[in-house]
Amino acid sequence: MAATKELTSGTSKLNPETLTVSVTTVVPMHEQDPKPKGMLSPDFLGKLERLALVSKRVQLGASKGERRSKRKGMGIEFADYRDYVQGDELRHVDWNLFARLDALYLRLFEDQEDLTLHLLIDASASMGFGTPSKLEFACTLAAAIGYIALVGYDRVTVEAFSGSQQRVLPPIRGKSSARKLFAFLESVEAGGPTRLERACHAHLANNRFAGMYILISDFFDQDGFDGCIRKLAGSRSDVHAVHVLAPEEINPDVSGDLKLIDSETGKAVEVSINRALLKRYHTDRELFCESIRKYCAARGIGYLMTGSDAPIEKITLEALRKGGLIR
Amino acid sequence: MGILESIGRFFTGHFLSPGYFWFFAVLPLVVLLYLLKLRRTEIVIASTMLWTRSLQDLTANAPFQRLRRNLLLFLQILILLLVIIALARPFMTHEGPTGNNLCLIIDRSASMKTVEGGTTRVELAKKEALDMVDTMAGSDKAMVVAFGAKTDVLSEFTDDKERLRKAIAGIKAVDTGTNLRDVMLIARSLAPDNRELPAAVTDLKLILLSDGKVSDLEELGVLGIGVDYVKIGHTSHNAGITVFNVRTPEEGQGPKQAFVLVHNESERALATTVTIYLDDRPLGSCEIKAEPGSDGEAVLELPEVQSGVLRAELDHPDALAADNVAWLVMRPRTRLRVLLVATDGSSGAYFLQRALSLDPRVDLARANPTNYSPMSRYDLTVFESWSPKQLPGGCLVFINTVPPESGVSSEGKIENPPVLAVDSGHILTRLLNPAAVRINEAMALTLPAGARTLVSTRGGPLIADISRPDQTIAVVAFDIAMSNWPLNLSFPLFVQNLVAWTPDPAPAGEASISTGQPLTIMPSPDVDHADVTLPDGTDRRVEMEPTRPVFFAETETAGVYRVQRGNETVLHAVNLLDKNESSITPAPLLKIGRGEVVGESGKVRQNVEYQRWLLLFALIVLALEWWIYSRRARI
Repeated sequence: MAATKELTSGTSKLNPETLTVSVTTVVPMHEQDPKPKGMLSPDFLGKLERLALVSKRVQLGASKGERRSKRKGMGIEFADYRDYVQGDELRHVDWNLFARLDALYLRLFEDQEDLTLHLLIDASASMGFGTPSKLEFACTLAAAIGYIALVGYDRVTVEAFSGSQQRVLPPIRGKSSARKLFAFLESVEAGGPTRLERACHAHLANNRFAGMYILISDFFDQDGFDGCIRKLAGSRSDVHAVHVLAPEEINPDVSGDLKLIDSETGKAVEVSINRALLKRYHTDRELFCESIRKYCAARGIGYLMTGSDAPIEKITLEALRKGGLIR
Repeated sequence: MGILESIGRFFTGHFLSPGYFWFFAVLPLVVLLYLLKLRRTEIVIASTMLWTRSLQDLTANAPFQRLRRNLLLFLQILILLLVIIALARPFMTHEGPTGNNLCLIIDRSASMKTVEGGTTRVELAKKEALDMVDTMAGSDKAMVVAFGAKTDVLSEFTDDKERLRKAIAGIKAVDTGTNLRDVMLIARSLAPDNRELPAAVTDLKLILLSDGKVSDLEELGVLGIGVDYVKIGHTSHNAGITVFNVRTPEEGQGPKQAFVLVHNESERALATTVTIYLDDRPLGSCEIKAEPGSDGEAVLELPEVQSGVLRAELDHPDALAADNVAWLVMRPRTRLRVLLVATDGSSGAYFLQRALSLDPRVDLARANPTNYSPMSRYDLTVFESWSPKQLPGGCLVFINTVPPESGVSSEGKIENPPVLAVDSGHILTRLLNPAAVRINEAMALTLPAGARTLVSTRGGPLIADISRPDQTIAVVAFDIAMSNWPLNLSFPLFVQNLVAWTPDPAPAGEASISTGQPLTIMPSPDVDHADVTLPDGTDRRVEMEPTRPVFFAETETAGVYRVQRGNETVLHAVNLLDKNESSITPAPLLKIGRGEVVGESGKVRQNVEYQRWLLLFALIVLALEWWIYSRRARI
């Protein structure tokens, strides 16, 4: 399935104000829907521009930006003094202090650097299910958050992973790179098994910049969800987990004697749907979500569970703001 | 065993082919096939992780879950059950006949006069029959047959309900017994397997509305037609006269006696009286007692009664009044015609003539051997010292002569035979004491085998009874003129005994006939018709034939029939006197030929099969099952 991108800016020059992106994620054959979904309307983009990502940690950035950095540099705000060592620029010596104390001290100022936003998107086969598909929802949400980051002069890197496959969007910056972001997200296709821990491990190994990690997944990982969360939690970064479930998974509308086949493993489960089983399923689903939430909370990771049919504006403007991801 | 029997009875009572219930053994197979061959709809979902987790605690008893919760399996089992039950051909008992050609056979015998709850059994039977006619479908046909001692087809096969109602309404109970044979002959002639009849009625059903008191059931052969027996009535409260006659005491002595036998059908012991009337004048009453189900008898002496109408009435109000009264016509005794054959001037004949003419019952005639004709018929012929060549008819006495063709022979004479022994048990020598009789000479007779010596002397009998089965003959071995017997008291007694010994020419003077039997009116040359007055007072004119007797068959009512033939009036008593009819307890089942028909009180039960409805229902369930199956397969 080819993803489609549509720019209706009227000029060849990228204008985020008029950017309209239709993000149609990959859906399996049977879920195919020709209509573009998850459209980020100009209005919505305008609203996004007024938002900013909230990073609770002060971290080192890759380049100059608008966020406080751990690095002391050439900023405006005074930060500290330190002893002069040979080789320091004399410009930074506080001469007034030298006059009083007869010792050389350097004036240190706080530096402002950018933030690297890591959007980790689960593109396994299971994400291709749902109406709209979970992957479509994930990409649209990633587009919205990524756009906020780009507008805030933060670096954005995207990785869509499934099994041993990773598709990576190298770090981009600036509003003008939004097109790249959208194009990348539109091209993401679902397929392959879910290997969350392995994907996170690989991503952390390849990216030296800490920053903000946003993992969007359904967490249907045969190896469990805890591995990847543990790894991300250890990255000294702000981590947020967005748990996407399809409406059919939240409230399954099935009955009769069924043979349920796992889209990733191909394993079949024979069920005779009845009220008791459905009740059990609901209990287990809630327990599953709750266990992820608790696991995340214990490690200072933000958790948001949402259905893939939830309106993206509402999620972005309300749920994410409430969760402290944006302001 | 009792439970098994009742289960068996249930299956045979509700299903025509209960053998198909063995197919229930297939049920576990269906369950097994369902479990093994369950076709599940395959659905690819994102992940089975949650489902697997949910199933973990449910899969432990998954087979039972499937059984308990699965609607489709239940529907399949239901379909199989319905099909098996349909194969077993269940039927419901429907009240009232349907869809048949009905032959309504209504009993109108005397027992149907029994009063049940203010109305008679025959009225109840008519009501049932009318109900059946009312419930007949438009295409149904029926015929109406009423039977007692004789059978009448009151309506041929017709679908005209009005005609059928009219025929049924006209039925009246009579005082006769029951004869089903003619009914069955009619039914058999209508039966579909009767090849002689091209237009036989198919789908014929006989409906017998009766109390089951049918006397000739066992004589009926195999009947190839279905018979529904509708039992009418329930009471058994009845006592009825079953025998009423007048008898003479043994040996003709003593007054006549009226004998009444009463059958007590009710469940309580009977203690009542029987009153005998002569021409509506009470002669006397007699107590009678009978245990339930048994008979009681009463005997009443009728001292001076010679003629008239005797009526016996049971003073016991019960459900059936028709058997509480019986009649008997007593006719005056006729005179005996006696011929004395003797040579003219015989002394013995003189004594005999004098003695015989003293008896008022005797019409005496004389003949001598020259003018005697053996063709003339007399009740008693006395041959004195002469015998004809062959024996004439009637009662014969040979005195001092050997009867011909009788095996008696005479071998010489016995001088002065003494009277040695007298058989006082014989009617001829009853009360006789001839010890003082002196006889000069007697024949030495040799008697044939079987003869009875009444008075004996040495060397042979003096008086002997040599009667044969067809004729009564006595012989006296001596000349009464050569003895002093005529001067002895025993002589007139002997002559009187002789008259009494003579068989009565009209012994059935008190006889009666049963209802339904024809009255015989004897021919009379100068009478061309007879008028018969029935017990209810109506008259019937009967044309007579000069040479042959005429039979009057309209005798279905008990009572006294008066036959006026010219100047002569003859009374005939016609009585029910039928123990079978007096036993009014309705028979629960009828054994017709080799089969048994169970009677259902009041209603005709028609077995209506509902096999096709079950199959239709099974089809609907099958469609429902398929619909649910296809609906479930959709997500």
